[in-house]
Amino acid sequence: MNPIRPLADIVRNRTAPENPSANAGRSITVRSLSAFYGKHKAIEDIDLDIHPGVVTAIIGPSGCGKSTMIRCINRMHEVIAGAYATGSVLLDGEDIYAPDANPVRMRRRIGMVFQKPNPFPTKTVYENVIAGIRLNLPKMTKAGYDEAVEKSLRSVALWDEVKDKLHSSGASLSGGQQQRLCIARAIAIEPEVLLLDEPCSALDPTATLKIEDLLFELKEAYTIVLVTHNMQQAARASDTTAFFLADERHAGHLIEQGPTQDMFMHPKDQRTEDYISGRLG
Amino acid sequence: MQTRVHFIEELSRLNHDVLAMGTRVEESLRKALEALRTQNVELAREVKASDEIINALQLKIEDQAAILIATQQPVARDLRELVTVFKVTDNLERAGDHAVHLAKAAIKLAGEAPFRETERLIKMAEIECGMIRGAVDAYLNQDADAARRVAAEDDAVDAEHKLMVKEVLGLMRERPEQIERASRLLASSGFLERLGDHMTNICEAVVFMVEGRHVELND
Repeated sequence: MNPIRPLADIVRNRTAPENPSANAGRSITVRSLSAFYGKHKAIEDIDLDIHPGVVTAIIGPSGCGKSTMIRCINRMHEVIAGAYATGSVLLDGEDIYAPDANPVRMRRRIGMVFQKPNPFPTKTVYENVIAGIRLNLPKMTKAGYDEAVEKSLRSVALWDEVKDKLHSSGASLSGGQQQRLCIARAIAIEPEVLLLDEPCSALDPTATLKIEDLLFELKEAYTIVLVTHNMQQAARASDTTAFFLADERHAGHLIEQGPTQDMFMHPKDQRTEDYISGRLG
Repeated sequence: MQTRVHFIEELSRLNHDVLAMGTRVEESLRKALEALRTQNVELAREVKASDEIINALQLKIEDQAAILIATQQPVARDLRELVTVFKVTDNLERAGDHAVHLAKAAIKLAGEAPFRETERLIKMAEIECGMIRGAVDAYLNQDADAARRVAAEDDAVDAEHKLMVKEVLGLMRERPEQIERASRLLASSGFLERLGDHMTNICEAVVFMVEGRHVELND
């Protein structure tokens, strides 16, 4: 019989898991933000801090202003007729609502992925990825576009699945692949921030988990904000969580923000506890 | 494409801490054993000091396991594993306490000629160092058969304890002036017998983790 090694020897031969390295991305500081659809106030007086290198989840019941919130971050809210916002949103200290701020340029720095995967149906996988590059960046050589496509698709763990069908329609992919394609399209223009508005709502559980794992990797390079109505997803996939609520007397407002593990272990506010435990509809 | 990479990594970190805790408990028992064998009071004091580290590790592991349950919604074996880790750390912590008891006895028994019966204590402790290592390995390797083998070793510990009780009672009758010192031997034997039970508890928890059913491995 082989002699059993002392436990101490076994410990010395095992290495601890590596810690993640420091990250890129930009901080977003929201102060006194309110957003309106004409006379209707959708969110009011939001103070929110979003840090680089982490995934920030925004949760809350339907109608609490989650999507309005993130659409204010990249100035897509005002695309709707009659919609406007007050307050400030600072991107690394730069006010994106300053009078001389260019919203189009801002939206290039702050990418967005929507609930329903929306690859351009008449374009190929390849063309989908470079669509944003063509609109926003100086013209590249073919080799430059090829490199950008491969880099983006590798970043979303899609390259191996589609490298042999780059010139097939983007719509020919599965739902989960389409959503990863949309993320690849968003990051192809190298934004600093990535906003995701319920990106997994239309996906099956396996595809959902793949997207969540992807976010864990992407946060190394981008500031990520994830709106989700799925509390369990927020708990799994985010580092920080912000809970919003609206009621008869108040437009959507921030109830509590904190590290996700604290929010789901011992939230400070009873309304947060009621919501995450399913007691608040 | 492997999914739940982050959760798997966190489980790995947790198990690394369990391994570290088990290592410290085994080291504590070995030191207590050596202190008893060589009447090394300083070594015995080291065991007492390191118990705080063991206790802190328990709290760290349990906090982290609770966070994983809250944030990762584990089911099936993942859930059983996280539930089991609470039993593992609780029983390791108690084992650490018994190592401290043995170290305290070593301090009290030092300075005079050792009892012959001390050899039996040392033999019990050596069996249990192996049980600690085996129980923790069975948990980390998710090996129910290994857990059953480790639990079976407790029979030897129990047998030694019975002999110890018989011999020490005889010693007390023959040398009543040594009753106080001899009672420390008896108490130490009791602590070691309970330490073996704690390792068996870990083994039962491992079987639950792997097979999803509760078994009784203590006689």
